Amino acid sequence: MKRVIIYFLCGVLSWQVSHAQELFSLTEPASNMAAHSIGLRMNSTIMPDVSIHQNSIHYFPEVMVGISKRTMLHIESVVSSIGAHTAIEGAILYGKYRFYSEDDVHSHFRMAAYAQFAFNNSDIHQPAIDFKGHNTGYEIGWVGTKLVNKLAVSTSISLLHALNNSSNRVFIYGNSNRNAVGYTLSVGKLLLPKEYVSYQQVNMNGMMEIVGQTNLHTGRTFLDLAPIIQFIFNSKIRLDAGYRFALSNQLTRTAPEGWLFRFEYNIFNAF
Amino acid sequence: MTYQKWLMAIALLCTIQLKAQVSLVTLQASGLTCSMCSNAINKALLSIDYVDRVTANIKESSFVIRFKPAAIVNFDQLKKKVEDAGFFVAQMEATIVTNRIAISNDAHVDINGTMYHFLNTGDKVIEGEIHVRLLDKGFVSVKDFKRNARFTKMNCYQIGYMGSCCKKTPGSSTRIYHVTI
Repeated sequence: MKRVIIYFLCGVLSWQVSHAQELFSLTEPASNMAAHSIGLRMNSTIMPDVSIHQNSIHYFPEVMVGISKRTMLHIESVVSSIGAHTAIEGAILYGKYRFYSEDDVHSHFRMAAYAQFAFNNSDIHQPAIDFKGHNTGYEIGWVGTKLVNKLAVSTSISLLHALNNSSNRVFIYGNSNRNAVGYTLSVGKLLLPKEYVSYQQVNMNGMMEIVGQTNLHTGRTFLDLAPIIQFIFNSKIRLDAGYRFALSNQLTRTAPEGWLFRFEYNIFNAF
Repeated sequence: MTYQKWLMAIALLCTIQLKAQVSLVTLQASGLTCSMCSNAINKALLSIDYVDRVTANIKESSFVIRFKPAAIVNFDQLKKKVEDAGFFVAQMEATIVTNRIAISNDAHVDINGTMYHFLNTGDKVIEGEIHVRLLDKGFVSVKDFKRNARFTKMNCYQIGYMGSCCKKTPGSSTRIYHVTI
């Protein structure tokens, strides 16, 4: 499997540069959605949980709002489904402010600052901080996205802080282990169509994302790799599917690997 | 009064008789990565009430905008729509239909209520359909804006409005579009 991943990664990096995407799945690029637009998403992950020997399924219904050309907000709820038990566990509020843009017709470099606040009422059963279904806490970060000849590369770095979850569920791994640094690297490339002629053409994009986290006290790290395939229909509907592989799980998670899905619908000039 | 100022005065008088309008705008946007981005600009431009039709060339990131009859086209509004969609204008050209009018290099001309400042053009008389390229900040790349600064010493080029350079023209808050043919 590792060989397949390496081939895929090499393939992404060596494709002839002609078109690319920065609409990544696991991370957000520095670019924002259009002002006065609304995006509706349904994200889902299916990951085998090794601690309970069952699939841990999460749904993340999400609303995105383009407040202005520089600012956007996401509101997301966290729904967990394990076995026959399905419950709303929390919510996430995410905001991003694009503070730098250097655009040319065939290239751009943008930087943005972002923050997210997550609320969760589930039990805490892993030292890795995960706002997508595990922890209450907050994150502040920086993201930079570079597009050269339409090959998009994006990277981010952030600080995460875990709080106690609601319903008196305490972060049991000690106060000194509540802080972590997160980092990502994403590469995206348009595979089809070969040439754009209309908004009705189906776009197919290939992406590779690397996501990591290091606990600032213990120095323990996890590092994941996710190849993702993405389709865009009618230039407003997105469908992503990918698989997240754990390259390193030193900073332990109970469900590190599994499938990722996203459906997104965009409404332009919504308000 | 210099020859150029006489020409400008005549041009200003001519504007009283002018019937001019912007019939077409072609703009190229920068920073696009996908058809979804292009569609965001397309939809944003279509939301302007006096825009009749937008024809997009997704490959070239360019948009041809046609207007409803008697529309008063606001170039700043078109630029803002592109920027609101998350992108920038790399180039904008307008087709203006005008009666016979004299223009001078590095001088202002009021064409049907819109003030234009022609740069890098000789003194000439224009008539009918003319194509102008906007040179103001935000209508070209930052590099081109700096490069084109050599065509004028007037401060209005930097600020886009009547400045200290334009004392003899009334209305200090008047927007001036710097253009070349």
